[in-house]
Amino acid sequence: MSFQNFYVTMFVAILSFSIPFNTSGSDQEENTNSIARKENILYLFNWNHYIAPGTVKRFERSCNCKLSQNYYSDNEEMLAKLAAGATGYDLIVPTGNAVDSLIRQGALKPLNKSLLSNFKNINPTHLNTKFDPGNIYSVPYAYTLTLLGFNQEKMHDLGLPTDTWAIIFEPRYLEKIKGRVTVLDSQRELMAAALRYLSYSANDTNEEHWNQAKERIIRAKPYWAAFSNTSYIRELAVGNLWVAHGYSNDMFQAALDAKRTGRKFTINYSTPKEGGVLALDSIVVHKSGVRTDLAHQFINFMLDGRNSAELTNLIGSGNPNMDAMKFIQPDIIRNNAVFPDKDSLAKLEMLQDFDRNQRRLLSRLWTEIKLR
Amino acid sequence: MRVLFLMIKENTNGNRTAKWLMIGPPLLFLLIFFVVPSLIMIVTSLRYPGEFGGLAPIITPAGKVSDGYGLTLEAYQFLLSNSLYAEIFLKSFGVAAVTTLICLIMSYPLALLITRSEKRFRNLMVLLVVLPLASNFLVRIYAWMIILGPESPLSHLINTILSVLGVAPLTLLFSPFAVLVGMVYVHLPFMVLPLYTNLEKHDPVLLDAAQDLGATSWQRFWKVTWPLSLPGVFAGSALVFIPVLGMFAIPEMLGGTGDILIGNLIKDQFLGTRDWPFGSALSIILTLAVLSIAGLTAWFTRQSGGMKYAE
Repeated sequence: MSFQNFYVTMFVAILSFSIPFNTSGSDQEENTNSIARKENILYLFNWNHYIAPGTVKRFERSCNCKLSQNYYSDNEEMLAKLAAGATGYDLIVPTGNAVDSLIRQGALKPLNKSLLSNFKNINPTHLNTKFDPGNIYSVPYAYTLTLLGFNQEKMHDLGLPTDTWAIIFEPRYLEKIKGRVTVLDSQRELMAAALRYLSYSANDTNEEHWNQAKERIIRAKPYWAAFSNTSYIRELAVGNLWVAHGYSNDMFQAALDAKRTGRKFTINYSTPKEGGVLALDSIVVHKSGVRTDLAHQFINFMLDGRNSAELTNLIGSGNPNMDAMKFIQPDIIRNNAVFPDKDSLAKLEMLQDFDRNQRRLLSRLWTEIKLR
Repeated sequence: MRVLFLMIKENTNGNRTAKWLMIGPPLLFLLIFFVVPSLIMIVTSLRYPGEFGGLAPIITPAGKVSDGYGLTLEAYQFLLSNSLYAEIFLKSFGVAAVTTLICLIMSYPLALLITRSEKRFRNLMVLLVVLPLASNFLVRIYAWMIILGPESPLSHLINTILSVLGVAPLTLLFSPFAVLVGMVYVHLPFMVLPLYTNLEKHDPVLLDAAQDLGATSWQRFWKVTWPLSLPGVFAGSALVFIPVLGMFAIPEMLGGTGDILIGNLIKDQFLGTRDWPFGSALSIILTLAVLSIAGLTAWFTRQSGGMKYAE
């Protein structure tokens, strides 16, 4: 092999190996580990797009510090990064079952409630979850519902219902919208929808019930376009999709996008009458962080109604803060898919972790669903 | 490795330090980036998954029942417990093979064209082949989502033609077809470049001689150019086949409900089900498969005799 050939081959080899890894990199990763921690920097490990930029600026002014964020798009991704040894985060914003995992791992610091004068703003409905009784470690931040988003006009024209999971599981409805439906690429969320449709709990672990849910999913699968966790937002907004199983804040985004680009249709969303999943995200203080003082300052700042309301106005997330209500746009407050009424709320469940063997079993079921 | 040993043998008279300076860096590279990670993977695959991701401790912590700690073959037993996993491996190999073949068929004429054009255009053309790599991989895949989407001009055009012919409309996006398009598009440059570097070195005199001896243009290609280009074909094929085998992003973005490949399955074990041992077991099988393909490629290259020419 000549040298020229060697270099070209090396070049190509390096390129080919570097490309697949571009998909999930965070450019700030090193910051958290290497920067001397005496600086006034608060490290927040947060969901993508889960705090309003204006809120960040005001907090930085008020604390005379810098807020440095790293992002994740999935609880499991966040837990995997921590399990792989990521450290240096002062604050994390996990969902209920991940809060539970982190508490049981002993990875969290208990909150000092005397520093959280605004804690009283939280609606008691969202306190004392079974993941953290007494809220020793966690402060509710925002919540989302897993539900159905749809193209209002199309569904009306086709005469299809929009308030039931049947629309993504029953072939008699699906045949009218074949190839225009996506469901979440998440074993837990899709199983939860199928289980709720069969009137079981989203946290059911009965193998027989799982198999029934699997049958429903496999029967409906030929009608679905894809499993999608993010692209459905855009596809709904441009009219490629007519129904999508997804998160309330994503549907809010899709509806907004469709409106802003002047589409001839509207995107709407609602919780199916059989009930669904509620994901309550809470702020927790991680053990590996050093600025517990700033962390509490931040939590208290976010508990202020005005700051908390900014996120809801921006992304349409549910808000557990009672003081925030007067700052939230009235049309968002009226939206039952963002702020569910008592009856709907009673039918929503928070997902709980499964144990090792159940996870493996579910994973195999999922692989089977994907392959068949 | 064999090359390295040969180098040692040939240099027995030479200076020992120089010898180690020669083979040291590649050896170190292999050790750090291949041997050590592989060993970590093997050990990981033999452990129990941790409750919160990661791995369960090897030594049972005080006060706990010993179940779920230590070493186990559980991950491999689970892998063999169901034919599902074998099916996914086979399917992934199929997709990789088809992608490689399409890349080869598309790249060969292009590489030949570049070689046979005027010298001053060649570098420009090579640059054009590499240029798409300058923009982010995900952005390019998103572009394909727009091109193949059901409301795109391309889809409309194809479906208009199909409806005239009386055929039911097609969905391009979220299909095995879209996955293949993405795979081929992304990996095409990796086939063109090795082919080009090989074809460029062919002595044009050989073709003239063949023509003088009465060979038709087809015979000239089949009996002269093709056999000489085999090392390039094998190098390009390996550079396409292997990354495609591990690719998870393209099936996830362009694929439909049935387009799961081995890369997606492995990713799921780490980022979905907190099952690192099973993910590692799958990765080891994949690594073994890739190694045997690399071995076969090397063997074929040697058999085809092209190596002599390339050296």
